[in-house]
Amino acid sequence: MKPMKAGTKIGLAAFVLALVAARYWFYLAAEVALPANRLWFVVAFLLAASLGVFALIKRTSWLGAIPPIGAIVIGLFLPFTIAVSSQSVEANRVIAVGDTIPSFSAIDGASNAFDSSSLNGHLVLIKFFRAHW
Amino acid sequence: MTVSVDSPEEIAEGRHLHGSQATMLSDTALQVTDAFGLRNTGFHSAPGSEEAEALPVPATLLVDRSGKVLWMDLSEDYQRRSDPSVVLAAMRAHFDTL
Repeated sequence: MKPMKAGTKIGLAAFVLALVAARYWFYLAAEVALPANRLWFVVAFLLAASLGVFALIKRTSWLGAIPPIGAIVIGLFLPFTIAVSSQSVEANRVIAVGDTIPSFSAIDGASNAFDSSSLNGHLVLIKFFRAHW
Repeated sequence: MTVSVDSPEEIAEGRHLHGSQATMLSDTALQVTDAFGLRNTGFHSAPGSEEAEALPVPATLLVDRSGKVLWMDLSEDYQRRSDPSVVLAAMRAHFDTL
């Protein structure tokens, strides 16, 4: 068997780094424990992507090109999602503590009509979230 | 109670996965979200539900029996949600005394 090209080895290392960082990222996301400062994640992901590029420059075997390309994709995609994750609301329209909630109607998960008047007299926790994914 | 842009069909599927007992409202047109002023006006970064053209900012509200908001937590970053322990602590602080 031919010895592994240097690029292939670096590419594998890049891929492992990207996978470990991404696995930890999704673990923390599932635990709702992502830190407010995600700089070290960005550093790890960008490092994995850079290593991937470096591996390709050093030349890999045909199959050996797959891990560094994977590292580049993962390494660039996750910092991108961090960059676009901030949210904002219109400050003059958003509800505040002390306000009375507006009346509203909607359809529930069983396709039944729901009216907010049914909440009267109850302590309620209302959770707005984006969607199931 | 939850509000999301999922269609009733998607909610039915998700409820099965998570075993949620809560009333889960479908707000594909963001009518409820807009009534609360919680539409995200920042960059719309994710596909969301196919029928929804925009998304709410993740938020958790505690409301008393008269409909007054006692506590709320807005996520200015959708990758970070209200931590369950924070919500539980707020429920203890605000609901247990009522």
